Amino acid sequence: MTEPKKILLEVKDLKQYFPIRRGTFRREKGYVKAVDGLSFFVREEEVLGLVGESGCGKTTAGRTILRLYDPTAGEIWYTRQDGQRINIATISQKEMKPLRREMRMIFQDPFSSLNPRRTVKEIIGEPLVIHNVARGRELEERVAELMKAVGLDPNYMERYPHEFSGGQRQRIGIARTLSLSPRLIIADEPVSALDVSIQAQVLNLLQSLKMDLGLTMIFIAHDLSVVEHISDRIAVMYVGKLVELSTTEAVLYHPRHPYTEALVSAIPPADPDIHFSRIRLEGEVPSPANPPAGCVFHPRCRYAQERCRVLEPTLVEIEPEHFVSCHFATELHLRGIGGNNVA
Amino acid sequence: MTEQTSLREQRQIQLEEHESYFNLVWRKFRKSRVAIAGGLIVLALAVLAIFSSFFSPYDPVKLNMRSGYTPPSRIHFTDVNGTFYGRPFVYQWKQVVDENMYMHWVEDTGTLYFVNFFVQGWEYKWLGLFPTRLHLYGVAEPGTIYILGTDKFGRDIFGRMCLAGRISLAMSLFGTFISVAVGSVLGVVSGYYGGRFDNYLQRFVEFVQSFPQLPLWMALAAVIPSTWDQMAVFIAMSTIFALLSWTLLAREIRGKVMAMRETDFVLAAREMGASDMRIIFYHLYPNTLSHTIVVLTLTIPSIILAESFLSFLGIGIQEPLVSWGVMMREAQTIQTLGFNQWIIAPVLFILLAVLGFNFLGDGLRDAADPYTIT
Repeated sequence: MTEPKKILLEVKDLKQYFPIRRGTFRREKGYVKAVDGLSFFVREEEVLGLVGESGCGKTTAGRTILRLYDPTAGEIWYTRQDGQRINIATISQKEMKPLRREMRMIFQDPFSSLNPRRTVKEIIGEPLVIHNVARGRELEERVAELMKAVGLDPNYMERYPHEFSGGQRQRIGIARTLSLSPRLIIADEPVSALDVSIQAQVLNLLQSLKMDLGLTMIFIAHDLSVVEHISDRIAVMYVGKLVELSTTEAVLYHPRHPYTEALVSAIPPADPDIHFSRIRLEGEVPSPANPPAGCVFHPRCRYAQERCRVLEPTLVEIEPEHFVSCHFATELHLRGIGGNNVA
Repeated sequence: MTEQTSLREQRQIQLEEHESYFNLVWRKFRKSRVAIAGGLIVLALAVLAIFSSFFSPYDPVKLNMRSGYTPPSRIHFTDVNGTFYGRPFVYQWKQVVDENMYMHWVEDTGTLYFVNFFVQGWEYKWLGLFPTRLHLYGVAEPGTIYILGTDKFGRDIFGRMCLAGRISLAMSLFGTFISVAVGSVLGVVSGYYGGRFDNYLQRFVEFVQSFPQLPLWMALAAVIPSTWDQMAVFIAMSTIFALLSWTLLAREIRGKVMAMRETDFVLAAREMGASDMRIIFYHLYPNTLSHTIVVLTLTIPSIILAESFLSFLGIGIQEPLVSWGVMMREAQTIQTLGFNQWIIAPVLFILLAVLGFNFLGDGLRDAADPYTIT
């Protein structure tokens, strides 16, 4: 293994609570704890997969890191090109603007994330206009380059988004994200709104862009099978918290958290003859407005014990690079891909 | 390769000629017959109003007491003896008193006056610029042609209707323009920022809406000093109509923007670092345009009606300015109307204008959003 790269982004105990207001006077009656104490880091030129069920706070986490929401608490340390570290969580939107060139997002829904009234040229070129990078012919040229890079025909730059298919629209979104040569991309479920056949195309595109441009990416998905090929490391989220974070291999083959085990078991094997035994989780995802006491996963956990109902586990590095938030991480024998059990 | 060589040539990119927004709208609009009819009506009224002097054979403001309340001239092709003439002609009306001492208008069939086209008549300035005497139609002196009759002062009603169209249409357009400008900007801002500003603005909208419109119009119109000149009165009246009609649009636009505010493309714009102004005017406002166009075409007829109403009551436009409502004032007493039914003719233009704009709005509503997959 080569020497670990420098850390580009470090999130420490990030919290994002949304107040619940009710009644005539719109008094705060509680909070939706969408992100509740998230800590992780991303190294340069690394892809971190962020996985979890819908409603677990993945998207909120991504948007909070880009300061589309103002975080309730926590720190987001971003390292600039010159080595300067900035805590994004506390700077103003004005100070944030230059950083928006370096940190970009790919949106989930290619249908609602493109303004229907603007041509592809205007959409892809907009970041360049906002940051005064290019105008006029130069802009057109840059847009043509970007369209080629994502596999679109530059002849179509005067067209409107509704004239494109879902996969093409997502390519437009990716071109827009790449337009300012960002250092960090947060891809928020970029393929989950697409057909499976198109998903592969877009994933391959992202994969090759990652290789060619050395992109650093946080890849959000609700499905391990989507991130397993593109990610270097995978973080698993459950109800606003991280339950497990490790290299892709370790997460897939040697999961240490019962929730990860269930997710891994849901990856369909490529061979139809293999017996596919999926662990079905009982019950519903708890509401982030009213999370259960103790370990958030205990009501659905097959291995839950008394301790889990009372005491909240913390994220502990049980092996190098392998963080798990479970009281019994070292004791349980969990199944990875192909039924590999941890010794 | 020179500097001038365009990018397209350099890269051999054949950028396809793309249809503009208005082309797309037009293509869809064209398919609706009702909308085309509405558009033609509106266009015809506008032409009549703009070139009103050309369409009126007599000066519409000059008094001519002797021919007061002349009935509309009848257009004939055959004379009393049954002789057919290849071209239209009119007889003069004359008043006779019957055995019961009632006055009657009868046609003097002694002389016939052919209707001539593109004739020389009273002098006016074409579009206010070039002096000319050309008129669409007329008859030789001493004959007269009043295709819709005359009013109390002997003025040609058709000519006056065309002239009145200038004020009526211009006022409704001007009022609608102010109304849409105020309504859409406040609507977008209110919807986008939300919070306290939105709350206050919406309560203000309710306040304005809860006024009974008619008494408020009357009160405001009554406040305009009679010493003001015509232009000032015109602007003041337009503003009054505008300030009472913007609320509907503001509400609707606010609703649309609130729905759009949370969509991903607005979030994407914020993620790029776009300013609030850019998001509002570059992203949100164009998406409310189709709605604005429709409300615009519905506000115009409502202002035409309101203006006619106020002028009819005598608190709107005052003579010597003439609008359709002002002309209707003469038809206020049953007696006058009973004897001279033709003075109600301006109603025709009001009806046509309201219908025309409504049809147009109907067609535009379907056509104004060409970016949806249908």
